[in-house]
Amino acid sequence: MKRIAFALPIACACAALAVLAADDPKQRQDLAAVIALQGKPCGEVVSYVVQGDNDFVATCKDGNRYRVYVKDGRVVVEKK
Amino acid sequence: MSSHDDIDRNPQTAQIGDESIARGSLAVFVFVLVAGCGVVAPPAAPAAPAAQAPAPAPKAAERVAPKASEPSKAAAPAKAAPKAAAPAAPATAPPPVAARPAAAPLDLRSLEQRLKDTDAIGVLTKLSLKNQVDDLIAHFRAFHEGQRPPTLSQLRPAFELLLMKVLSLLQDHDTKLANDINASREAIWGVLTDRDKLAQYL
Repeated sequence: MKRIAFALPIACACAALAVLAADDPKQRQDLAAVIALQGKPCGEVVSYVVQGDNDFVATCKDGNRYRVYVKDGRVVVEKK
Repeated sequence: MSSHDDIDRNPQTAQIGDESIARGSLAVFVFVLVAGCGVVAPPAAPAAPAAQAPAPAPKAAERVAPKASEPSKAAAPAKAAPKAAAPAAPATAPPPVAARPAAAPLDLRSLEQRLKDTDAIGVLTKLSLKNQVDDLIAHFRAFHEGQRPPTLSQLRPAFELLLMKVLSLLQDHDTKLANDINASREAIWGVLTDRDKLAQYL
């Protein structure tokens, strides 16, 4: 019983991580377009991590990483 | 279009709010963009009405002309005036006018709906575009309020750049919509540079 109680949270955490490190191609394109619209170099988003609602960290093909989030109705792109 | 402030206050509805706002504002932008088509079409009237009442075309020319005192591209909307004035002289002008693209009167509502429905642009991209559209319109408002800069010659490149962004986002996945917007380029500029027309869409 103790093992189950111990393993369950870990399993949930792993599942959550898998969800957060999502890999939706449309989302990647969306992030790449947003980064390009802000005039930041990226080229292509190869992966991203969901940090919250409308809050992402995108990793570009050229190695640049950006935090893309919405604040006060504006899309903000910050280099990390 | 008026305020962004309430978008993120409720985190549970933030994404839905962002999406709807982004779509809505983009729709308004395209509405503004495309609206000029319907507005510009009437000056292409045949010679007879022009002889009776030459009001519409000269009015548009008057509005643009003072602003067009700034050089270069600002004169673009004024192109409509010579074209509209030309039919008054030769009575045989109507055939070329009729040969103009008949697709000019676009259905703005359907275009708006198409923009809302298009999958060519993601939610964040729509919101980002909306931000840039708002910024550009704010510059136009400042211009219409008499503030200098910006001048029209400064606003034109910004307008072109933003339109290019929209087109580049649409052209691969929604070519028809991109073409329709591109065809409306000058008409959109005409709306933006006309204080009264712009106010109708804000």
